[in-house]
Amino acid sequence: MPAVVAALAAPLAAAPAALADEGTDPYLRVATSNDIDSLNPFIASLASSTNLIGLTYERLVEWSAEDNSEVPGMASEWTTSADGLTWEFTIPEGREWSDGEPITAEDAAWTYTAILENEPLQMANGGLLTNIDSAVAVDDDTLEIRLKEPQAPNPGADLPIVPAHVWSELDAPEEHANDEDVVGSGPFLISSYDEGQSVELVANETFWRGAPKVPGIRYIYYKNGDAQVQALKAGEVDFVNGLTPAQFEALEGVENIELNAGDGRRYSALALNPGAKDATGAPLGDGNPVLQDVAVRRAIAMAIDKEAIVEKVKQGYAVVGETEIPPVYPAYFGIADSERMEFDPEAANALLDEAGYALGADGIRVDKQGQPIELRIMGRSSNPAHAQTAEYIQPWLADIGIATRVDMFSDNQVNDDSTLGRYDMYFTGWGQGPDPDFQLSINLCSSFPNADGSGALSESNWCDPEFDELFAAQHTELDPERRAELVKEAWAVKYADAVNVVLSYDQSLEAYRSDRFDGFALQPAEGGIIGNQNGYWGFYEATPVAEAENVAGAEGAPTWLVVAVIAGVVVAGGAILLIVRRRRAASADDRA
Amino acid sequence: MTVALQPEDAIREAPGDEAPRGASWPRYLLEKGSGALVSLLMVVVLGFFVFRILPGDPAISLTRGRRVSAEQVEQLREQYGLDLPLPVQFWNYLVGLFTGDLGTSYTYNQPVVDLIASRVGPTLLLTTTAAAISIVLGLWLGQRSAWRRGSAFDRAQTSLALTFWSVPTFWLGLLLLLVFGGLLQWFPTGGMVTPGSDATGLAWAWDVARHLVLPVTTMVAVVYAQYLLVMRASLLEEMSSDYLTTARAKGLKEDDVRRRHAVPNALLPTVTLIFLTVGGLIGGAVTVEAVYSWPGLGYLTYQALGTPDLPVLQGTFVVFSSIVVLTNFAADVLYRVIDPRLKES
Repeated sequence: MPAVVAALAAPLAAAPAALADEGTDPYLRVATSNDIDSLNPFIASLASSTNLIGLTYERLVEWSAEDNSEVPGMASEWTTSADGLTWEFTIPEGREWSDGEPITAEDAAWTYTAILENEPLQMANGGLLTNIDSAVAVDDDTLEIRLKEPQAPNPGADLPIVPAHVWSELDAPEEHANDEDVVGSGPFLISSYDEGQSVELVANETFWRGAPKVPGIRYIYYKNGDAQVQALKAGEVDFVNGLTPAQFEALEGVENIELNAGDGRRYSALALNPGAKDATGAPLGDGNPVLQDVAVRRAIAMAIDKEAIVEKVKQGYAVVGETEIPPVYPAYFGIADSERMEFDPEAANALLDEAGYALGADGIRVDKQGQPIELRIMGRSSNPAHAQTAEYIQPWLADIGIATRVDMFSDNQVNDDSTLGRYDMYFTGWGQGPDPDFQLSINLCSSFPNADGSGALSESNWCDPEFDELFAAQHTELDPERRAELVKEAWAVKYADAVNVVLSYDQSLEAYRSDRFDGFALQPAEGGIIGNQNGYWGFYEATPVAEAENVAGAEGAPTWLVVAVIAGVVVAGGAILLIVRRRRAASADDRA
Repeated sequence: MTVALQPEDAIREAPGDEAPRGASWPRYLLEKGSGALVSLLMVVVLGFFVFRILPGDPAISLTRGRRVSAEQVEQLREQYGLDLPLPVQFWNYLVGLFTGDLGTSYTYNQPVVDLIASRVGPTLLLTTTAAAISIVLGLWLGQRSAWRRGSAFDRAQTSLALTFWSVPTFWLGLLLLLVFGGLLQWFPTGGMVTPGSDATGLAWAWDVARHLVLPVTTMVAVVYAQYLLVMRASLLEEMSSDYLTTARAKGLKEDDVRRRHAVPNALLPTVTLIFLTVGGLIGGAVTVEAVYSWPGLGYLTYQALGTPDLPVLQGTFVVFSSIVVLTNFAADVLYRVIDPRLKES
């Protein structure tokens, strides 16, 4: 009897304002749907965990909110020796860890050395240190990092520095949970962790840029996006991100909720199998050989109307794609007009005609063996955009005489198949860090995997000697402008080969309670994101809205409505009870 | 419904001059117990092999999109023991299982035993509350519907229950969340406690109770129909029995006839059903836990499928299945206790 359940539940509902401190929690409450694998900076790998760690521990070098360029973090300045092998970082005097101990070069040296010398501590960040030979504190203010070979990427970026006086005392630092009253150097400090439910961070009063304006941050788990949206509406959380266009638009015009569509760090692409090979050079997988012809790949790239995908599938919350670098990294973004492949089905058809793929009677072109060209499109069933995009791509490819078949699989299936070259085309995407070196490195000829998929990681099962040369050149080029040119040239080589057709750079859709907080810093400053930044700026700059404004209204349904509904339930329940009683009495009378 | 029939078959076989099946308690227990044991063994073996059919290399999926070297991935695989031959892995799993070690989660870097221990409480709270309410509600409505078969009450209750039964849990959950969480804001939209509140004792219990309302309501709405229908069906079977006429002839009130004579007999198949479904309820909590962000076992399992986090999957599979096997065994035992016809004379 639902009425009875409702009647029982009514008193529980009646007291929300009294007990739950939804309106009064001074912390910035952030909804998160991703799991925390660990809060130990040496172990944590998932983005949700590294975000928290990035708020707690500064790096020597940070990425600016303005435009993702290098800015001072724990180190105030750095120089590189003429041979490029020695980097010297200055740790300014007078800065303190949150427990009052001074921050010195010794802390940084200890962190680097611990990872270099202790294999279990390499789990999270070992990959950052492969070219580092040693890190030594010359004095309290000076850290000297020696490299094995010269490199352009700043060796002080991305690695969180931990306090040596805390971590050197631990017997097994890799087993330290690090989830309570953490000593750190960043704007917020992890203070408690309720597994699977929430993480609390408190403001660090000793942060050298000045204490944050909000007293703390509370990350709250929501296991699905729709629940996050409801929680934001109900005022149970103050910030959500990762919204779908539908969820985002549903929040439009809702009182006290501010929306932000920020330019993201991710590209989405359709990868074409250029003839995957394993590390020994033997063919890998079952890609259609016709795609080994660059003319076919370029024709496919030209047959795809990226603008239509941005408008129809991404509903306008994206930018048309070019190379793998999104526009939030302006130094490395873009392709020369003369090299850009525009949407042009006619030119694509002409290209295929010229390459000798004749049209069959059924409108499908035949390959060199006389077989009609039919290609598979693979995507993830977990991402609805993949199936939608495929629906648009199919007729476009039919227009140039290529038949297609669409298969949507589980994430793991797609991961396996793409690694092993078992695809013709598949939807892919990578979130990009501010330094392009890593993304370039997984396109080298040395990055082909072993025949069983183990070993190195190849982004697109593709390589090109010219690209390898450009990679090597940028990898050691210390002049930022010259390096940016080399990076763009390298991406242009891959672009021209049409192995990874970048469709769009998707925006990150975010929303927050403007009646409680404001002043979030965007990264980049122009049209950027608040959450998931390269750095701590977004929440660090957050400002509570004046107390008086957030007490009133907005929280909870109007009182009269609550009272009316409860009264209705009680009356209905009472009536039912009465009827039941009467019937019982009546039947008893009958028998008497 | 077919499962509910099993005990009735037992009834038919039970009477007779010869010592019936399971006539003595030790023999009965031995028989049922060994059945349960065989099932448990199957579970243990299946638990290992079934998840290895899943596509995906845990070491690769955990390092996906990260800056890792081939050596690191290899190191990870070694750490997980995935580089060992399958029989060796199986042996390690068996040895671990019998020493109470379910391995270490790939994702959380924590012993699976600890993970399960921390999440089994919330799941049990959610499922037992939902089970208790839906059983009471279902049985109560079921016997009333049967007693007034064909009445407006019967028709309304039966069709209402069947409607809820057919509604997808996820959809109903989101709908309730939307209305009572987002729109009316009567109940919290997720979790088990209000994060950041340091309430203890009664205030804490109150907080948990408020968080329980929506998930429990969703679960109850979806499952109470089965109890209603079984109770209704078995009571209908009893209603034409002679002993009810006798009872009425004795001048008993209609309510007493129902309560003291008909219902106890009709309860027999229902009790079995209850035990058979309680195990399933725990598995069914997965969806509800996902909708309401309930920090329980179901969601842990769901998450682990993505990696695949083999130790977590094996652990939760063994735990879930053991609960089902054990409740079935309990149903067998209890059935014998409450059915006088199966007792030794």
